[in-house]
Amino acid sequence: MRKILVPIKRVIDYAQKIRVDPSKGAQGVQLKNVKMSMNPFCEIAVEEAIQLKEQNKGAEVVAISVGPKQCTETIRTALAMGADRGIHIETKPDVRGDYIDLQPWAIATLLKGVVEKEDAVDLVLLGKQSIDSDCGQTGPLLAGLLNAPQATFAANIERGDDGSFTVERETDTGTETIKLNASGKPAVITCDLRLNTPRYPTMPNIMKAKKKPVETISLEDMVKELGLDLDEVLTPKNEVVEVYEPPPRKEGETVGSIDELLGKLKEKGLVA
Amino acid sequence: MRRLQQTITSSSFPLKRRSLCPPTVHFAHRTTTAGLYEMHQRPEPHFSPHRSSPPPYLRYSSSSAAPLKSRLPSDFLSILQRNHPNLKISLNKYELDSHGRGESHHPVSPPDAVLYPSSVEEIQDILRLCCREVYREGDGDVPTVEIVSVIPYGAGTSLEGHLSFLLPQDDSVVRNNDIVEIPSSLFESNSGDSQLWENEKKRVRIKRKGGISIDMSNFQSIGELTPGDGFIKVGAGVTRNSLNDALRHTGMQFMIDPGADATLGGMTACGASGTAAVKYQTMRENVLGLTAVLPPQTIASASNDAGIGLKKPRAVTCGSNALKNSAGYNLPGLFVGSEGTLGVITDVTVKIYPVPSHVIAASCTFEDLHTAAEAVTTIRVLGIPVSRIELLDKMSIRAFNQSVKNEELKPMDEKATLFFEFAGHSESSVMADLSAARAVCVDDFEGSNFVSATDETTRSKVWAARHRLYYSSIALRGGGDDDGNGATSQSTIVTDVCVPFSSFADIVSATAEDLRDMGVFGTVFGHCGDGNYHAILPLRSDDTEEYKDKVFKVIELMTERAISVGGSVTGEHGVGYGKKKFLEQMYGAAGVSLMQTIKTSIDPWCIMNPGKIVDVDLGLGAIK
Repeated sequence: MRKILVPIKRVIDYAQKIRVDPSKGAQGVQLKNVKMSMNPFCEIAVEEAIQLKEQNKGAEVVAISVGPKQCTETIRTALAMGADRGIHIETKPDVRGDYIDLQPWAIATLLKGVVEKEDAVDLVLLGKQSIDSDCGQTGPLLAGLLNAPQATFAANIERGDDGSFTVERETDTGTETIKLNASGKPAVITCDLRLNTPRYPTMPNIMKAKKKPVETISLEDMVKELGLDLDEVLTPKNEVVEVYEPPPRKEGETVGSIDELLGKLKEKGLVA
Repeated sequence: MRRLQQTITSSSFPLKRRSLCPPTVHFAHRTTTAGLYEMHQRPEPHFSPHRSSPPPYLRYSSSSAAPLKSRLPSDFLSILQRNHPNLKISLNKYELDSHGRGESHHPVSPPDAVLYPSSVEEIQDILRLCCREVYREGDGDVPTVEIVSVIPYGAGTSLEGHLSFLLPQDDSVVRNNDIVEIPSSLFESNSGDSQLWENEKKRVRIKRKGGISIDMSNFQSIGELTPGDGFIKVGAGVTRNSLNDALRHTGMQFMIDPGADATLGGMTACGASGTAAVKYQTMRENVLGLTAVLPPQTIASASNDAGIGLKKPRAVTCGSNALKNSAGYNLPGLFVGSEGTLGVITDVTVKIYPVPSHVIAASCTFEDLHTAAEAVTTIRVLGIPVSRIELLDKMSIRAFNQSVKNEELKPMDEKATLFFEFAGHSESSVMADLSAARAVCVDDFEGSNFVSATDETTRSKVWAARHRLYYSSIALRGGGDDDGNGATSQSTIVTDVCVPFSSFADIVSATAEDLRDMGVFGTVFGHCGDGNYHAILPLRSDDTEEYKDKVFKVIELMTERAISVGGSVTGEHGVGYGKKKFLEQMYGAAGVSLMQTIKTSIDPWCIMNPGKIVDVDLGLGAIK
């Protein structure tokens, strides 16, 4: 195996309470002073890439992220887990990654350019979705743009000696096994929750990660280098109209007996 | 995920901090206790025949032991709500029930209300209201001091009944209508009322008016970790798993592992430790500082509107971020292990340690428990570094073997077994520790079947018997399949003692022998690297009185032996109310009296978790 590319996203930490300011309209989700971390599904993708690298000596794991300058820290976490180098496509601070400005189409377009530029990429591993936009589109869009074989919601990945990947997918109706044949194009696989348990980096690895190379390039420069149109990339294809918090859950009613419960259910038309 | 949990539990049967998602991120070096108290559905409470001192009206534990009507002073909640409209207060029957119980066989005794403060100020005002002098109808000219009990609540994983309010279900009073004399120094002077203070004592009636639980789950702050520092400051409501999750990318972790996913506030209050103590010690050594709200020392006279506006109870921040501190009295030490009797802890600064780079797990069987215990003490005395070392007796292994069904796990040899973990910064150092320990076990103590494993999956398999010990022990006495009389976690007694190494082998084998000789079902296992061992004693609801007597006899013998060698009657679980009677045997009358002095000077009105650790008389000895 030669290179594994792992796109990662910096999002609001999954344990944080999300605050919405409705007066800000579509920009309502508060990002200031909120703890940010690597998207949990991206962590799983990084872990899988490291495990594949450990099984296939000589493979190189490249972590790539699109976002403001703090994304470098997120890339360093991937490096501490065992990735070899990073690419940071830096956006201006006011560009929002949570679906407002940057959307999967733009990311997939950029990633396609990077895959072709890097050459020798055998596998692109992504999280199945990000926890802020919940789109789940970047992986499939990238596969489409590259005309590459893809498998989503991977719960198990095995690499064959011929360069093929056998992927078990979790669906609502059961597990499906798909084989992605070696095709000259990189396989694109998105990772689901039960694929693995991401490792906690140890101190020595965190320190080593500081010395691993991270190439930082501004979004504008990368767009130019890839021969794309900046407006095309930055203009979102979908417009977020409104962002609001779900209504608070109402208190339930306590009933005294089964008969009363049945009576209430009938009253509300919930049972015949 | 956690906040989703909060909204769901607010008006339905509370799920005890149970994650609704499948486990996602865990320790990469997978420390081996998957949890003495794994996520489980709370079963119906069974009759729990505890023998220590709960009053007769607590013997019977019903499915909802919530008080029949609120025992609180009539204006208590309305005053609070008026001054703090955002303070959440719950009177839901199931929440009251869950806040009066821990994870043990102790009877449930719930509060009258559960409060969810979000700030130190709210707690100060709440405590202020918990002791008040008022004039009620029919009192004449002698005022009443109304006292509301307070117990702070973390995750409810207490094992020694700390959360029991020990109050009768109805409105009966602890003190009757007698008028007593209290030193005037306990009352604040009201403006212009200087006449009162000419006398040394004041005549009042004292009444206990129910109890409140202060749920600390809104105290969720986790401080910024400065790289290079070995400590972190967290709110008292943060659980240890969520702390470690927040630290997952820093290379550091909070190492104390009591099994349960307890809150840091609760772990501090109960002096928690666990399997990692052999390397990282206990909360006593890991708490660098904390903030606590103290109970009021004086109360306002009746004419003032509920005393709000007068002196607030103090909030004390003690300790330091430095690893060594010899400045003044050890105040954090006073609160660690105080079991909620001295104040409400609102945040704690704890030590954290680097995640080890290399981990090896191992196990070894021995001919008998005594030999296994001797092997442990030899390993410790030789100074061989271990990161975890656990001893399971024959019965524990039998429990495990019975629990293995159609899995990849293989049944083990039914003999006393040691479980090890070695961890360190380099593979060679860890291998050296492993070899030294193996030499002791195999060459000196005829240990057999010494297996070791480095990768996480195999390590979990090696330690499987230890991981599932709690539930497999309960299952020994028929959990689940039968007519509903089987043992459950509600009817299982887990008790522990801790003794010096020189007596450990003898004492732990003596308990195992007691169980055998008296025909009592139970497993004996221990954090043997500290001389600490537990007995898990499941009870069935169809057990005879004779059998239960034997169970309590076993516990009595255990504690007596521990005291006789200068050990402790509880290594980890705390005193609560069940082990109060042993404190005098351990510390003598003078020691207990000093504890009472500390308690009465910090909490003279005894609002904080009354009846735990030590008994005090209101009035500082002036009344009985």
